[in-house]
Amino acid sequence: MAALAQRMVTALTTKGPVLAKNAVEFSKPRLQTFWYYAKVEMIPPTPAEIPKITEGFSNLIKAARTGAWMQTTVREGVRNTVVVAEIGFWFFIGEIIGRRSLIGYNV
Amino acid sequence: MAPPVAVSPLIKFSRYAALFVGIAYGSRKNARLTVSEAEVRKIEEKQKKEREERERIAKELAAANEDTILK
Repeated sequence: MAALAQRMVTALTTKGPVLAKNAVEFSKPRLQTFWYYAKVEMIPPTPAEIPKITEGFSNLIKAARTGAWMQTTVREGVRNTVVVAEIGFWFFIGEIIGRRSLIGYNV
Repeated sequence: MAPPVAVSPLIKFSRYAALFVGIAYGSRKNARLTVSEAEVRKIEEKQKKEREERERIAKELAAANEDTILK
């Protein structure tokens, strides 16, 4: 038992830094690509884009009113469904953060 | 690598709006549930004490009433 603990400690001290360095080297390019896309696609909208937000919203309402939504193709419909689903997922992630528990409410 | 897509600001805004609404909803519901659970726990504690008291009395009565010669 003591020999096992001793072996674990030596393995940790000799191979630990090597593993950590390998992990960092593996993840750096991937993090770079992630940041490359996230910088454009995921940042919150700046106040300069507010008029575009209202315009997009009124476009939605106009499409709902004039019946243009009946002319959408199936491909567009699927794409819009996936976008709405993603927005719903952000709500559930927010709920997880708000209740500070992964699965249920820790009452 | 493909160039990043210019995401519509409406979508970006609604993403973060949904995130904040979710955080607010989760934290409020958590607070509400902890309060109500504390009250339920208090009532259950009181009921458990009464029930244990009754069981103790019933057990003593039963022990006193049984007819054995091994007392």
